[in-house]
Amino acid sequence: MAAPWVGRALPLKEDARLVAGRGRFLDDLAPGRLLHVAMLRSPHAHARIVAIDAAAAAALPGVAAVLTGTEAAAGSRPIRPLIPTAVPVNDWCLAVDRARFVGEPVAAVAAVDRATAEDALDLIRVTWEALPAAVDAQAGARGEGPLLYPELGTNVLWHDTLTYGDVDGAFARADGVLEERFEFSRYASTPLETFGAIAEWDAGTAGYTFWTNDQRPGLTLAILAESLGVPQARIRLACPDIGGGFGNKRRPAYLLVCALLARRTGRPVKFVEDRRESLSALMQAAGGVMDLALAYRADGTLLALSVRDVTDEGKNLVSPAQHNLIKLGNIANGYRIPAVRYEAWSVLTNTCPAGANRGIGKPFMCFAIERAMALLARRLAVDPAELRLRNYVTSAEMPYTTPPGAAYDSGDYPATLRAALERFEYARRRREQVSARAAGRLLGIGIATSVEPAGTNLASYEIITGRRAASGSAEAAMVRIEPDGQVRAALGDPPSGQGYETVVAQIVADELGVRPDQVDVARGFDSATTPWLYLSGNYSNKFSVTDTGAVVGAARRVRDKLLRLAAHRLEADVADLELRDGAVAVRGVPTRRLAFRELARTAYADVLGLPPGEEPGLEARHAYQNPLAKPMDAARRVPSQLVFANAAHCCLVEVDPGTGGVKILAYAVVHDCGRELNPLIVEGMVHGSTAHGIGAALLEAFRYDERGQLLTSTFMDYLKPTALDVPAIDVGRLEHPSPYTPLGAKGVGEGGAIPAPAAVANAVEDALNSYGVTVRTLPITPEQVWRWLDSRQFNNVGSNFSESPQ
Amino acid sequence: MRLTVNGVVVEREIEPRRSLSDFLREDLALTGTHVGCEHGVCGACTVLLDGWSARACLLLAVQCDGAAVTTIEGLTPAEGLSPLQEAFRACHGLQCGFCTPGMIVLAHELLARNPAPSADEIREALAANLCMCTGYVAIVRAVARAAVARA
Repeated sequence: MAAPWVGRALPLKEDARLVAGRGRFLDDLAPGRLLHVAMLRSPHAHARIVAIDAAAAAALPGVAAVLTGTEAAAGSRPIRPLIPTAVPVNDWCLAVDRARFVGEPVAAVAAVDRATAEDALDLIRVTWEALPAAVDAQAGARGEGPLLYPELGTNVLWHDTLTYGDVDGAFARADGVLEERFEFSRYASTPLETFGAIAEWDAGTAGYTFWTNDQRPGLTLAILAESLGVPQARIRLACPDIGGGFGNKRRPAYLLVCALLARRTGRPVKFVEDRRESLSALMQAAGGVMDLALAYRADGTLLALSVRDVTDEGKNLVSPAQHNLIKLGNIANGYRIPAVRYEAWSVLTNTCPAGANRGIGKPFMCFAIERAMALLARRLAVDPAELRLRNYVTSAEMPYTTPPGAAYDSGDYPATLRAALERFEYARRRREQVSARAAGRLLGIGIATSVEPAGTNLASYEIITGRRAASGSAEAAMVRIEPDGQVRAALGDPPSGQGYETVVAQIVADELGVRPDQVDVARGFDSATTPWLYLSGNYSNKFSVTDTGAVVGAARRVRDKLLRLAAHRLEADVADLELRDGAVAVRGVPTRRLAFRELARTAYADVLGLPPGEEPGLEARHAYQNPLAKPMDAARRVPSQLVFANAAHCCLVEVDPGTGGVKILAYAVVHDCGRELNPLIVEGMVHGSTAHGIGAALLEAFRYDERGQLLTSTFMDYLKPTALDVPAIDVGRLEHPSPYTPLGAKGVGEGGAIPAPAAVANAVEDALNSYGVTVRTLPITPEQVWRWLDSRQFNNVGSNFSESPQ
Repeated sequence: MRLTVNGVVVEREIEPRRSLSDFLREDLALTGTHVGCEHGVCGACTVLLDGWSARACLLLAVQCDGAAVTTIEGLTPAEGLSPLQEAFRACHGLQCGFCTPGMIVLAHELLARNPAPSADEIREALAANLCMCTGYVAIVRAVARAAVARA
């Protein structure tokens, strides 16, 4: 058999159109008679909507319709939350009687163009009654502050304490306990293409068509059907090329607004966020405060971990506590920690809804653990790499289940770190650091390592609700040989830059014995033609864990059918046949072969030539469920995610004491995502993901003032890393295939973003060692550094910790 | 208003407030020019204005009266790809592809003025635009590769 296509660093099929500007993104689509939507948004973090007068806006020439919250509530049902609240609360697509964050939409206008629609917004008169805003999740956790939903009686959506193992005993027996508080700012990966949608109402069939760059079309379609009161069969939802997602791109509310306006006007309606709308109202990674206590033996062996975690959800009723659950699932990082306690609060505030963002919760969890490891190493005067090596779960222990139920399936964490140290030339850089410091330079080295799960198991919500929920650990795909013999494939997961058209073609090519350029993979997603499941979509690193299984399964069904047809027509035994070069041939007899085109002719046209009982056609669908997904057990253990990759990051920074600026001088990553399906894509994912972590470490933060006003709502004040901020990240790899995925692949999309904030923070703290600085929060802006240096407190590094066991 | 777009003379009557990016995308259907922030930071809308890179979102179309505008469509050969585009593809100097047209226009300008830029010079030039996917590493590689290919 020829060398497989999977595993090759093949240039991407889709790149050929994208480099020419021939991608087709949401805003490139323009059905005839299209109307454009602009939304009126709340200027208040919290306010009662006393009255809305939209008459003047509706009368403006060019305006086709105005939709207020009251009208939206009359024309649609509330959006169902993923986990129900104690008392039902109604969350409509527009704010109805109360706005709960700055930027929340309260009315929408459809007009002949966006500029006219925005003109009309100026004519809408809203009578507001400003209310005090809840902006402090810590206060919310204490039961203080104004309530977003008075009917709930609290801003706390979830509070619970989960204990696994003998935590109290471990703390009592420990030689020492490290206690620290860490804060994590809100940030977002801000896909360059903003979120948008087009809705069309067909009065003839009483159905809707949506075009959207929503990353999770399966669930969105279900929400639309339920909220609009239309059967799912009468909703077609399609995704074109998606210009980046990173978890941010989902907001069924905007599709609902478009649907209501499309129905009212009888015309297609498009809404595309502008950047301020995207930064202030789409999706931000949850911030929060974490109190961590780590019990250890004198030799650095970890004994127990106790975490109190207050998560600031903003106005997030759609997926509350998701950050909490994922932190719990990754709480042990790569370490053997026998006992774990996790006390969680999920708290509503009058800020932008928190939600999925590259890594969901894991960057914060990893930041806390990896900062604690750095502090512990310093306290014990052990090299931080050595401390980690003493505590890793080893490959011999795998499969290893962490106390809360995460199953580490494969990998060699010590080997990953050792390879990273070697790649980074750790020993040499440590020596150079000594001489540089002697010369007065503030050089620091940071290490952070992480596990990186792939695939999701939302059944973990059972921890909160006590009921099993949709799991999301499955995906569907289709492979078809067309009547002309060409191969086509489609997947329920619309990519947003991950190159699935290429990778799916590589997988199918191997299964069917063709070249990847002979496999056409559908762009995006279309519910009318793509097989899909309830949670089909592009999220949670799931391609390697579920999508590959769906593609392989569908391709193998087609392959089996090709073999049966060829065996029948060649009068040969299936066992003697092979697929090669777009044909089925008798092994060793190259002349006895039938090209796919000829077999397709039998399958579609000359159906009388089919074997007895064989169904016409050459198409197969397959839905694959990953076997690692499980429901919660009696001890409340549940794998919230499935297959685990891992990575080690090493970073060298220099701090400029004059400006407070931090420059990354060198950055090395060694990662292990199992079998790399296309190393070109994998390396790009590691670069980009790491850059997101660097942005969170040094630049990015959504800052709200005490009244809930967002202070960073443009790219002038919410800073993204440029080519001058991201170093030439040096990437090495190990390949320990997962036994639990169809092709041995593991996740890679989030791996850089998880440890990078900790790696950079550890390096900066190391650089400022002589100043006694402890990094407790991000981003480390020049202002922050300058304050540290200027404070000149030179406080004792160890003074924050209790050295005695608790 | 009369201007040259990708070598073709275009004459239109337009609203004074129409941005160049909207004019290119909506009126001329040149959708390769993308709009990412509309406040001049991200550079997704970068085009060449009389040979110099410019933010199409910050220009009013009427300001370009008499000018020559080149978009990604104008830098793409009728058949195949330009060497710079080939280099982006070979190095996978993109992921979602939304920033890519702007990046390629920017890199085209750089190489036109500095045919053999160092990695630092490439980074400095590319820092004008934002990419949210690649961490820039593969974009820098792609531009360096294109420079070598041209040499």
